[in-house]
Amino acid sequence: MNIVACFKLVPEEQDIIVNGDRTLNLEKATPKISLYDLNAVEAATELAAAMPDSKVSALSVGGKILENSKARKDILSRGPDALYAVIDPALESALPRETAAALAAAVGKIGSYDLIICGEGSGDLYAQQVGLLLGSLLSVPVINEVSKITAGDGKVTVERTLETEVEVLEVPLPAVVCVTADINTPKIPSMKAILAAGKKPITVWSVTDIGASTGGAPVVMQSILAPAQADRKKVIVEGDSDDKVAAFVESLRKVL
Amino acid sequence: MSKIWVFSDMASRYPELLAAAASLGGDVNALVIGTDSAKAFSYGATTVTQLPADESRMIEDYVPTIAKCVTASGTPAVVLISATKRGKAVAAKLGIALNAGVINDASSVKGGDGVTATHMVFGGLAVGTETVKSAVAVITMGSGAFEPLPEDAARKGDVVTADFVPPPVSIKCLERRAKQNSSSVDIGKARRIVSIGRGLKAQEDLAMVRDLASALDAEVGCSRPIAEGENWLERERYVGVTGVQVKADLYVALGISGQIQHMVGANGAKTIFAVNKDKNAPIFQYADFGLVGDIYKVVPAMTALLRK
Repeated sequence: MNIVACFKLVPEEQDIIVNGDRTLNLEKATPKISLYDLNAVEAATELAAAMPDSKVSALSVGGKILENSKARKDILSRGPDALYAVIDPALESALPRETAAALAAAVGKIGSYDLIICGEGSGDLYAQQVGLLLGSLLSVPVINEVSKITAGDGKVTVERTLETEVEVLEVPLPAVVCVTADINTPKIPSMKAILAAGKKPITVWSVTDIGASTGGAPVVMQSILAPAQADRKKVIVEGDSDDKVAAFVESLRKVL
Repeated sequence: MSKIWVFSDMASRYPELLAAAASLGGDVNALVIGTDSAKAFSYGATTVTQLPADESRMIEDYVPTIAKCVTASGTPAVVLISATKRGKAVAAKLGIALNAGVINDASSVKGGDGVTATHMVFGGLAVGTETVKSAVAVITMGSGAFEPLPEDAARKGDVVTADFVPPPVSIKCLERRAKQNSSSVDIGKARRIVSIGRGLKAQEDLAMVRDLASALDAEVGCSRPIAEGENWLERERYVGVTGVQVKADLYVALGISGQIQHMVGANGAKTIFAVNKDKNAPIFQYADFGLVGDIYKVVPAMTALLRK
């Protein structure tokens, strides 16, 4: 089975600084594989291990963050056999539609595939659209919230966990699935896997190489701002003696 | 003036979707699977388009049918969908079918020169404001973003029926079963919430939290580790960036440290009370009234006082 696992590199949230004007400073944030995409890569690797003659290609599109060699090694140490990266200034801060269009073009350039696996959403914008848009652009079956994948002959059987229901679906291949964060627990790469990662092939393309068009974005990001802090009374009492609890409950009664 | 459409895979979400639609102005067309139009009218729909019901179909199979309705009625158009898991699948598929920009989990939506919506980014650290430039905008609305209009059973409108347009590629549903450990609770709508965090030592101790909630006539909520790490409460009760954003009058946070990812979900509450044994816990920066103390002592005492 030919599997493509899509991932995004995002800034480490812990390193993000909120500026005085509520904008975010991402300059000091190191690139990391978006958390939910680790589930996509793990699902791809597990499925490949269960199917003889399988190949997993990791694919990402974006700006110069993808030049980060540590992050490239990280993704390859998690099981994929090869890495494809589309790096282009036009993809810097790309929104879901442009990202999906570039992924679709890149998939075409990689060649044939049976299954494309995406995460539920990225750690930065969490738009939760790219996998679904990708499948629709490729005109293949696509479904989100997949919590289990079982390979079959020319199809996969998946479980889809919704708010109150679980659906068991038969998805003919080729297809795109978006997996949930609880489909698996991504393994920590072994030392052997980390060493082997350095020898795996990396292919880098530009937008022109894959023949993607990046114009006509349907959505424009206007601003990204930390929320204004709500004005709170901050009446804080230290100690849990009876009278303090009673006073606390009196304050509570006043808003009931 | 834009044509406004609303659609949900959950009947309970129509009232707030219709309120969001009404805020954009103009006529509101509710797309409903089946023949029950009365509820949509009573919450503000001016037209109801009935889609033929068929249990064997997946909700996503209705995308070409919805796309045809929207296209036939012209642009500019806005399609508002509940931000459920199926709703997001429908939204993205409509995005391609209608060449429309999509925004998920909107906490606000505004008309004007393009539809502008806000949603959480960077794990709740910030809010992104996006504007859809395409002729059709597809927005999934987060739960609790809009207050439903008052129900008025006297309201009537036009009923239209749409023919089913089969999807070009289809996925077969082999089985559908109820999810274990799921509840239909919607704490996005609760007026009062008692929420518990990592300060809880054992699942059995939830009893004391439930007692306080019952004394306050409140729903029980929680922070992420209680729902997703420990699985002590249903995920539907988890308040936070990837959970529910509450709109309650009262939010009582017990043993919750108050990380930004949680507060993003709780900050919509009018008044926040907090009990935590760590006086440096960030929760006290976000609270109206705070008590530094042990929840195992304070919570039963609060319940007893409130029951008096």
